[in-house]
Amino acid sequence: MRSPNAEPLLPGFVRRLFPTVAGLPLGPLLTLSLRSLAGRRPGLFERLGEYRSACFGIDPVDLAFAFRVVPDGQRSSVRVVSKDNTAGADVLIRGPLLTLLGLLDGTLDGDAMFFSRIISISGRTEAVLALRNTIEDAELRPSDLLGLHGILARCVDTGVLGTLGAARRLADNSPGEA
Amino acid sequence: MTTTRMELVCPAGTPATLRAAVQAGADAVYCGFRDETNARNFPGLNFSRDELAEGVRFAHGHGSKVLVAINTFARVDEVDIWKKAADMAAESGADAIIAADFAVLEHVAKNHKQIRLHLSVQAAAATPEAIEFYAAHFGVRRVVLPRVLSLQEIAALNRAIDVETEAFVFGGLCVMIEGRCYLSSYATGKSPNLNGVCSPPEMVSYDEEPNGTAARLSGFTIDRYERGQPVGYPTLCKGKFKAGGKTSHLFEDPVSLNAGGMISGLKGAGVTALKIEGRQRGKGYVSEVVRAFRKALDAVEAGGDAVDVDRLLAGQSEGARQTAGAYEKKWR
Repeated sequence: MRSPNAEPLLPGFVRRLFPTVAGLPLGPLLTLSLRSLAGRRPGLFERLGEYRSACFGIDPVDLAFAFRVVPDGQRSSVRVVSKDNTAGADVLIRGPLLTLLGLLDGTLDGDAMFFSRIISISGRTEAVLALRNTIEDAELRPSDLLGLHGILARCVDTGVLGTLGAARRLADNSPGEA
Repeated sequence: MTTTRMELVCPAGTPATLRAAVQAGADAVYCGFRDETNARNFPGLNFSRDELAEGVRFAHGHGSKVLVAINTFARVDEVDIWKKAADMAAESGADAIIAADFAVLEHVAKNHKQIRLHLSVQAAAATPEAIEFYAAHFGVRRVVLPRVLSLQEIAALNRAIDVETEAFVFGGLCVMIEGRCYLSSYATGKSPNLNGVCSPPEMVSYDEEPNGTAARLSGFTIDRYERGQPVGYPTLCKGKFKAGGKTSHLFEDPVSLNAGGMISGLKGAGVTALKIEGRQRGKGYVSEVVRAFRKALDAVEAGGDAVDVDRLLAGQSEGARQTAGAYEKKWR
């Protein structure tokens, strides 16, 4: 049984489901999602202020690839990159994928995850704080990123958040892997 | 002893946290604008004019008050920035302005008589003479007490003054003369009293080194952590320094205030309101802390014992360590 404070890594059989960098459609899809969010919730990106043009490297330690994100409103971009292509980002955030997703939807507290070393952050601390405070206030749901409303939005939110919760419990209870 | 119900005053760093605090049971929330007019001037934090107006509508709709912190000190050539903040707070329908600067206090007293004035802890007013001066000249109705007074001192103060008092009960501690601390100015060239941040984030770095993680502020090593050890946000007064051949926390230990067990004592000492520190903290933290103190305060007001807040909130304290601070002053 894993220690309760250890990183909740994706189990090996799940990690093998994710393809490597080449041929991934994730970047364009996430870019579209972010720009659509900017159209629906411009205040979120205003809260970022000058840091909306910063480049945030997001490195899920249990995946074979990383992301470079520039959350610049309607000019936002998300690129899927190899692990060694995160150098030069203004901020680099590293941690288990489930933890990073938990920060995004507000299930997990960013301060607690950082201070307890479950995620690591390097680079411009002021940009990190701007992002952390913006996400805290945003109260994002999966439906926000998909542009859904009404009953469909509620169904998707329940489904996705429930799945993530189950995945975290599975990861917490998985035996350690090399 | 105060015979009216004590108020629970809770932090709101963002609109989402304001809603969380109100829904968790805050009698009042305090917040600031997105600029240097308040002492939590962090990137991405605080309210725009429109967000404050919406926050006031939400709070009032749920029976809570909104207090706006305009509690840093104005720069001599830019006083209008602080006056404008006070104007916006008054226009939003907020219930009180928390201030320390004379220019702000005077501006509000002359131009916005409908809004209450609360004296910020940044004024470091701890004597009857100081407090009565602010009351007489600006109409201050409540003073937030410095975190260096014992219960006995607070009781004596309340017997000697005619304004309300508000005391911190949870969160970060400051044991300096608040509003006059120069530690950050020395290290960073920026003053928390003028710019609103003790450790400007653009000057904070965490460096992985062979002997651990160094937390630095403007190049000064504030603390060093072993691999895997939880880290803290580098604040000078809570740093470890070498002096007299020893390395120790010279100014204060990195512990948090938790006076949950002293609610009855504070009521007995005449305190009107209990304040939770933490506008830079997240919604989850604020909700949990507010709910616990709501429960504890309601129990005391009903004539019972406070619930065990210490046990409920031990995990939320800095470094997981807590103190009752100066309220007991056991070291004297």
